[in-house]
Amino acid sequence: MKILSISTATSNLSVALTENERTVAAAEETDRRNHSEHLDPLINQLLKQAGWQLADIDRFAVALGPGSYTGLRIGVTTVKMFASILNKELVGLSTLAILADNFAHSDQLVVAALDARNDNFFAGAYIFKNGQPTNVVPDGHYHLDKLLAAIKQAAQEQGKKNVILAGSGLSERSEALQAALPDLSLTFAQDQDNQVHASHLGQLARSAKILDPDQVLPRYLRRTQAEMDWHRKTGKPFGQDSDYVEEV
Amino acid sequence: MPEKKDVRILAYESSCDETSTAVVKNGREIESLVVATQIKSHQRFGGVVPEVASRHHIEVITQITKEALAEAGTNWADLDAIAVTYGPGLVGALLIGVSAAKAASMATGLPLIGVDHIMGHIMAAQLTDEITYPALALQVSGGHTELVLMHDPLNFEIIGDTRDDAAGEAYDKIGRVLGVNYPAGKTIDAWAQEGHDTFHFPRAMLQEDNYDFSFSGLKSAFINTAHHADQIHEQLNKKDLAASFQAAVIDVLAEKTVRALKQYEPKTFILGGGVAANLGLRTRLSQEINKLAQQPKVIMPPLKLCGDNAAMIGAAAYNLFEAGQFADLTLNANPSLELPYAASMLN
Repeated sequence: MKILSISTATSNLSVALTENERTVAAAEETDRRNHSEHLDPLINQLLKQAGWQLADIDRFAVALGPGSYTGLRIGVTTVKMFASILNKELVGLSTLAILADNFAHSDQLVVAALDARNDNFFAGAYIFKNGQPTNVVPDGHYHLDKLLAAIKQAAQEQGKKNVILAGSGLSERSEALQAALPDLSLTFAQDQDNQVHASHLGQLARSAKILDPDQVLPRYLRRTQAEMDWHRKTGKPFGQDSDYVEEV
Repeated sequence: MPEKKDVRILAYESSCDETSTAVVKNGREIESLVVATQIKSHQRFGGVVPEVASRHHIEVITQITKEALAEAGTNWADLDAIAVTYGPGLVGALLIGVSAAKAASMATGLPLIGVDHIMGHIMAAQLTDEITYPALALQVSGGHTELVLMHDPLNFEIIGDTRDDAAGEAYDKIGRVLGVNYPAGKTIDAWAQEGHDTFHFPRAMLQEDNYDFSFSGLKSAFINTAHHADQIHEQLNKKDLAASFQAAVIDVLAEKTVRALKQYEPKTFILGGGVAANLGLRTRLSQEINKLAQQPKVIMPPLKLCGDNAAMIGAAAYNLFEAGQFADLTLNANPSLELPYAASMLN
């Protein structure tokens, strides 16, 4: 099965072509903010390199979130359209699961986190069994204090003493984190292991659930500030997205 | 001579709070038009929230693509190009249309055309009647208030622009003071029909020798009047307030437009943009143009083509298609895209 995998969730734009367990071609553009400009040409470049056509792809895979809202929408819109027009399969995975998958062969607790500013993180923790991730601290938007408590609890429940932390905003706080979790031994991921790699997505995508291209949306894990303020002010329920968009 | 082959373009528009797709034949005939509006959502906040808008756009993008094709009774193989608004507008919102159109272009091999949203609004006229050039357009919306001189279907230049608020923006802001939810234009227009200009708000820049506009002074005068009345517990007549505000807006728009028509003597006059749906403005411009010695053809698109829609993008895209002006896959959203300014405005 030929899979095209895309992550536009973070500043690292990552694209990979995989066929079963083999990565056929992969490319990344680090710290590029203009994913919109670079994504499609990068896909074409990899297809050319592999000697494939877009229509040869059997399954499109995307990092659904969390991540940069705008970034996520670029990748998700692109694969929605590909899958919808070419009538091919679409799968989406947690950005944090893909990030944690950098340590798929570890028996430690893997914390994947993306800095969401002001001591907040989009984060989750995973353990791996036979290379498959299980989400033991649910992906969510956490204040650092809450995240630390959740890590502590998950480590206890899973019987893990050693914890790997990957992503952004963590290694800068290594001393504070270690001090806050004195019973655990923390290892901070280095360099490329802090990045979301589409080649890893390509492997996770093989056993992922097939989604309906019309229904799939980014997994933002957080409502907009405007909606939260409105909810607080009016006490009204958020409602379904479909309540608010109507064809005229 | 062989008959010229029809050109069918699938167009996308997502620059603000409407997600729209359309199939347009030869830049003139609407074969389908789908508009998904988010007004209900943004009414919760009293105005468009960019992140909320972007989230709604992605919810409907694949469905409305299929609907546009189905409604037109066409499929990808019958199309000649894919067009999309790439600016100006809200960057996150624009990116949904741009990402979708580029992906569609890649998946189908159809050429891609990037369209300026303002050019699109003006080209709604091409869906209504034949434009003869040179033409002059008054483009009035929530984001823009511009007089545009059109030499041909592709070469436009701005000869007048707002110095501050757009006219539509001023409507929404004073709407808030009057307790009218966004978008306020329709209600203010209806109230204005029943009220009278009793407040005589200032007509900004009316005497100045240029085609520029300013609406922030009018907006402030309006708000001050309303607040002052509040403080002394005086009830002002909302309909008269609306009529007075609208009269000041229309006086300036009409006066400057007529002046430009006299100077440039265009063959066609076009009223475009969301505020082009304003009945007071349409009526007044028609009356003023009727008085001119040299009368241009007047095109005021039907109301459903005045607001944001993809059909207008398909119309403008056809002209670019004919001129061979295509985009490539590096096309990006440009939130501050501008038509070129006339030399007279560059000082």
